[in-house]
Amino acid sequence: MNYVVPALLIAVLVAGLIKRVNVYDSFVLGARKSFDLSLTVFPYLAAIFVMVNALHASGLDAYVTKLLAPPFRLLGIPDEVVQLVLLRPFSGSGSLAILTDVYNNYGVDSYVGRCASVIMGSSETVFYVASVYFAGTKVRHTGWAIPIALFCNLLGAVVACLLCRIM
Amino acid sequence: MNIVWTVVTAAALIALTVVDAQSVLTVCMNSCSQAVNAALGLCGVYCLWLGIFEVANRCKLVEKLSGCFRRLNKFLYGNISEVAQRYISLNLASNLLGVGNAATPSAIAAIRETEHTDKLSRSGAMLFVVNATSVQLIPSTVMGLRAQLGSASPSDILLPNLIATAVTSVVGAALVFCAYGRAK
Repeated sequence: MNYVVPALLIAVLVAGLIKRVNVYDSFVLGARKSFDLSLTVFPYLAAIFVMVNALHASGLDAYVTKLLAPPFRLLGIPDEVVQLVLLRPFSGSGSLAILTDVYNNYGVDSYVGRCASVIMGSSETVFYVASVYFAGTKVRHTGWAIPIALFCNLLGAVVACLLCRIM
Repeated sequence: MNIVWTVVTAAALIALTVVDAQSVLTVCMNSCSQAVNAALGLCGVYCLWLGIFEVANRCKLVEKLSGCFRRLNKFLYGNISEVAQRYISLNLASNLLGVGNAATPSAIAAIRETEHTDKLSRSGAMLFVVNATSVQLIPSTVMGLRAQLGSASPSDILLPNLIATAVTSVVGAALVFCAYGRAK
C-alpha cells in the first residue's frame, strides 16, 4: 500500500518525459491554482470548526450521544460507538480522536474496536465535504444531496456493526 | 446548510455560555485559527495534486482514464461536459486508490464545471453522494492507526469495510436516481 502514491507520481513524471511535455511548467501552472482554491475554502472551514468546537466544548455532544444511545441500540449500534457515528459527519479530526479513544479503552481487536474501524472507513465527513465542495460555486440549495449522504452514513454504521458481528 | 449551521451553533454557544461563559471567545478564536492552519495545509496538498494533475492532463493520461470510465459516468451523471467527465474520472480513480487528498481538488473542479445555478443539479448531487459514501478500496488511515496501536491483524476490517462502502455507495446512487430520476 505504501507504494501507491510514489508509483503514481513517478508514472506521471515518466509519462511526461515520454510524451515530451514540459513537465516543470505544467506542474507550476497546476500548483498555482491551489492558493485560490484554499482561499475560497477557508471561511467555510472556519464556520464548520466554530460549530464543531462549540458543540464539543459545551458538552452538548455528550448529552445528545446519551439521548440517542437507546434508538441506536435498536439499530444494532453499540453505545460505545454512538458518539463516533454522530460526530463523523461534522469533523474528520474529531472522529479520528474518538476512534483512538475507542481503541485505547476497548482494544483494537475487540468487537467495538472493529465496529468503530469499519464505521470510520465506510463513512465520510458529510458537512465538511459539503462546505468544501460547494465553496466556489453559486449553489445555495443542495436539495436531497445532504439528506441522502447522511442516511447512507447511518446505513453504513448499521451494516458495519452487523458485519463485524458475523465476520 | 444555513439553518443547520445557525441552529446548531447557537444551541452550542448557549450551552457553552451556561457551562463556562469565559471559554466562549477562546473556543471561537481557536476554531478560526484552526481553520487558517487547515486551509494552509490543504493549500499544500492541493498544490501537489493540482500540479500532478496538470502534468497528467498534458500527457493525455486523464483523457485515457476518462475513456475507461465513460460508460459508468454516462450512466451515473448523464450528459456532462468532457472537462467535467475528466475531473470526475480523476476523482473516482483517487477515491478507489485511497488517495483521499487527491480526490477533493478533482471533485471541486468537477463541481465548478457542472454547477451554474444556485440549485444543485442532479450530476452535482450524484458526485457529492458518491464522494460522501466514500467509495474506497483500502481505508489506509484506519489501518495505519490500527497497526500503530498494536492490532493483531490491522487488515481484518478490509472485507467488512469493502462490503459496507459498497452497500452505502449503491444505496446512495440509487437514492439519487429515486430523488432526481434517470440521468439525461
